[in-house]
Amino acid sequence: MWYENEGKNKETVLSTKVIINRNIKGLPFPPKMSDADRENVFGMVRQAAGTLGLNFVRTDELDDTAKADLFNQFYSGYSFLNAKDSKTGFLLSKTEGLGVIINSTDHISIVSMVPGTDIATAYKRADDLAVKFEQTMDIAYTDKFGFLTSQIKSVGTGMQILMTLALPGIEKTEGAVQVLSRRAEKYDWQLIPMTHSDGLRESGIYVLANLATLGVTEEEILEGAQKIQTDIIKLENTCRKNIWTKKKILIEDQYYRAYATLRYCRRIEVAEALTLVNWLRLGQDYVDTSDADVNWNRINKLTQRVRRNYQDAGSKITRPKDKSTVRAKMIRDIMKGGQES
Amino acid sequence: MRCSKCGAQIGNSYARVNGVLLCENCARDLKLDDMFRRTSSILDQAFPSLGELPGVFSLGSDLDFANAKIRCPRCGTSLRDIETSGELGCIECYNTFNESILKNILKRQGSSEYMGRKPGASADIKLEAEPDVSSEEKPSKAAKETLAPEASEAKPEAKKEEKDLLEKLKKADLGTVPDDTLEEGMKQAAAAEDYELAVKLRDELKSRKGDN
Ligand SMILES: [Zn+2]
Ligand SMILES: [Zn+2]
Repeated sequence: MWYENEGKNKETVLSTKVIINRNIKGLPFPPKMSDADRENVFGMVRQAAGTLGLNFVRTDELDDTAKADLFNQFYSGYSFLNAKDSKTGFLLSKTEGLGVIINSTDHISIVSMVPGTDIATAYKRADDLAVKFEQTMDIAYTDKFGFLTSQIKSVGTGMQILMTLALPGIEKTEGAVQVLSRRAEKYDWQLIPMTHSDGLRESGIYVLANLATLGVTEEEILEGAQKIQTDIIKLENTCRKNIWTKKKILIEDQYYRAYATLRYCRRIEVAEALTLVNWLRLGQDYVDTSDADVNWNRINKLTQRVRRNYQDAGSKITRPKDKSTVRAKMIRDIMKGGQES
Repeated sequence: MRCSKCGAQIGNSYARVNGVLLCENCARDLKLDDMFRRTSSILDQAFPSLGELPGVFSLGSDLDFANAKIRCPRCGTSLRDIETSGELGCIECYNTFNESILKNILKRQGSSEYMGRKPGASADIKLEAEPDVSSEEKPSKAAKETLAPEASEAKPEAKKEEKDLLEKLKKADLGTVPDDTLEEGMKQAAAAEDYELAVKLRDELKSRKGDN
């Protein structure tokens, strides 16, 4: 999985995702497309795929393993993968974390994800593909509006940047989330608290997304991203340090309680697991961890696996109690240092 | 039992949310009922659209309703459709609704001019690698007590006396500073993005309220 590689600023930034949307001239946008239009897009995309070194797959021909893989790697949501007769597809690349979604909100949605803060790499991979699509297909564009997209919010550059952040320090510091939200808005970004698919808040997890896509250059968006990202990491570090300075015993106590529960639990819910991982995150750089076998890779892997699990999202296992047992086993394995593939 | 947010011992009254225990205060602070209503988890969408998130898509209020009857001749999308979904139906929609809708988003996005790159050619952006902020500030395990790195420098546009106050507070024994000065300093520090100082001042203020 791309997110298991070590990213820069991994203590705070789980991942950076760049999405670039493009549409083909002469066809309505996907929400208004007929089945014939959709097949038409498949045909054109399939042709382009060969020259781009990408592999085309139709969603309705994917087996469960392939769906689970796309889901677990954050390309796609459960309902998108399992919608009936939706005529959607993917272009998969050999590069982990890089792919294209076909006939979602736009004809072509290029998705590029990296662990940590390496936005330059995430952007370059996505943009290289976008340029190639523009060279090989007739892409909808006007000088006035830039790239035309189905969603008004992405017209222009057609680019969205989403950073997934783990901010336990900020969240536990009174007023800090508000300070951060205002700061983000100043740069025309938005901070959104993450909600799990079960409807509960994912404690400490936030997404930062750009709002402006028109009237700004790609470079300005990217530079803005770097600037605000650096600010957030600094603020989070300040908060973590401050909490530690004020409440050493409490943090150490919570750290080891969290460690023990995650290491030995037999049944655990998503919300509880994420709350516990939060304490590990908060204490990892400060607490004397010699009695615990935890490292940042394990913390991040735990966070992502708990948040994103096809087995969980799917209805194969229906009883919540069984799900929580399976989840506990997965968590114990990661805490033991297993599955370190 | 302990609160899983603040770690405090939990008394008789607490909330249990899907296996997570919260003390009464934290449950109220988190406005849990409010949180539960925000169910759009954006990474769960095939394409996470900002339009689906609360508070992002706020067209509508100043829409020109004289245009509400216009439909795109190509795909039949109406202005009302766009207003509710944030979606256009086809490329022709951009010509049809040009004036009415775009005026609105452009206002929010700050400009009506497209500034991005042209199709088919990379913008050739040279980004500097982002600093590894975490490791820069990370305490070594051996020296966990090391002090904070220098607080971020004040913004140039900050007024001179504000800078003076912040400088003074940075050096001051906070125990001797009056409440209103602390409060003023907290505001200024937040405005100058010196979060470290702001947090320090806030804690001092809070501990005083606790004393009384
Ligand atoms: Zn509490
Ligand atoms: Zn139309």
